[in-house]
Amino acid sequence: MSPSTPAAAPAGAIRGSIAAIGTATLGAARDAGGIVVLAAEVLRSLFPHFDSVEDRGSSTDPAQSPVRSVRSRSLRLRWPSIDGRELVRNLYKMGWRSLPIVTMTALFVGGLMVIQFASFVQQYGARGLVGWGTGYAVLREVGPLMIGLMFSGRVGANNAAELGTMTVTEQIDGLQALAIDPIRYLIVPRVLAMMITLAVMTMVGDAVAILGVMLSSQLILDIHPLTVWYSLVQNIGVGDFLHGMGKSLVFGAAIALSSCYFGLTVKGGAIGVGKAVNAAVVSAAVSICFLDFLMTYLTA
Amino acid sequence: MDAGSSSMIVMRGVHKAFGGRPVLAGLDLVVARGEVLYVIGTSGVGKSVTIKHLVGLLRVDAGEIWLAGRRIDALPERDYQVIRRKVAMVFQSATLFDAMTLAENVALPLRKHRGLGAAAALADARRRLDEVHLADLADRFPAEVSDGVRKRAAIARALTLEPEVVLFDEPTTGLDPQSARRVDRLIRELADRRGVTAMVVSHDLASIFSTADRIALLYQGRVHACGTPGEIRGSVDPVVLQFIHGRASGPMETPGF
Repeated sequence: MSPSTPAAAPAGAIRGSIAAIGTATLGAARDAGGIVVLAAEVLRSLFPHFDSVEDRGSSTDPAQSPVRSVRSRSLRLRWPSIDGRELVRNLYKMGWRSLPIVTMTALFVGGLMVIQFASFVQQYGARGLVGWGTGYAVLREVGPLMIGLMFSGRVGANNAAELGTMTVTEQIDGLQALAIDPIRYLIVPRVLAMMITLAVMTMVGDAVAILGVMLSSQLILDIHPLTVWYSLVQNIGVGDFLHGMGKSLVFGAAIALSSCYFGLTVKGGAIGVGKAVNAAVVSAAVSICFLDFLMTYLTA
Repeated sequence: MDAGSSSMIVMRGVHKAFGGRPVLAGLDLVVARGEVLYVIGTSGVGKSVTIKHLVGLLRVDAGEIWLAGRRIDALPERDYQVIRRKVAMVFQSATLFDAMTLAENVALPLRKHRGLGAAAALADARRRLDEVHLADLADRFPAEVSDGVRKRAAIARALTLEPEVVLFDEPTTGLDPQSARRVDRLIRELADRRGVTAMVVSHDLASIFSTADRIALLYQGRVHACGTPGEIRGSVDPVVLQFIHGRASGPMETPGF
């Protein structure tokens, strides 16, 4: 290396930042790939499939014949089996205990939308549109998105931290050493629990947000709750509701897979667990927004 | 391996490096069926790494591993599931699951592999915990009990699969002398009564000399010396002497010190 000249210094800095961008891109690609592989493994465990297993009995004494023994393989059908206790434990932990915060948030979101709406309603006298406008926004967009992001912060982070701690304390290795597949035993119930929970939470959140809309319409705009309700049911279809539910299932899968992936790949003790939680929440938020855009665009 | 053959574990020319740093460099080791072999050596010499290869938690860079006559080093991950039911491992950190009580921890492999229902598995788990004198603590969580209790519960859990081989990673480290001797006795009984082959990683000289059938000293990525406790004790090899007398200076250097 020649000593750096004034002209070489900025060139070095540029090269350095290009290298940093490259490293970050490679890291993101590796993580995205890892999440896709994990998703494939989870899907595989959820459906009956054939496993290629080694037949026993075709063994050779290494002392007599150090050559590799001839092995035959056969296919064995494996039925999906989900650990019910793990599923129930996670449903309780993730679902039941998230209920208060979801209810609180949704109630305020409903109120908030009415306040934002209020000036237009007063300006144009569009009292009959409150239910339609807020309902459309809540069911299709705001409900799944807000509750998804909050769920990621509460449940996704918790899950990444728990799995990360299990990884650094060798509990995952311990599970493998007991011939228990961590994907089937730990990951599949968590992914299912998160998808189910987020979908249910979104339903609850939608209902509470609409309740919030009705309450605050009465309080702020003096619109009767029934007026809001009729405006909602006359203009909003099942399709709008299902659109939002579809989103929440996809968000649930995204949150579950990213938090499980970052939890399982922790390296380096407590600091590593911290980084994993961070990465899980950030990647879940990014993928929620991206998937939301994609799904809205495709179904528009 | 044929029924008459006596080797349970054969490791041949095993190499393993982490991030370019070689840990195992041509390790050769044979463990006979029903034997208790202690693997000793300074910290970082690759003792734990050696036994983790036997259950596929680590894979060799080069070399061969044979278990009961089958070559296992190149098996795909799912074939290891079969091996892990025969070869149990008790980790240094016990690795009980935090979210479960001791009884639930022991019951888990019973549910998963023995097809027991939840209630039957728990009942069996309690009986097994009673065998290691932990009946009173069965409903405690791992965080609420001492290291010695955790380790005994982990041993009870590892034995649920009725393994043919048990690998112990520092089973007596961090235990009081009394608990340590109890663990030693348990290991000896497994070999004597059930014919289990045991490979034990240890620093505990009292355990090593009271329990081992043979001792293998790891040094610079290979087995430097291997023999019965009597042979090791009588050795004049400077490396062996340094280890068994716990001398700070000598040919053996502990990495990082």
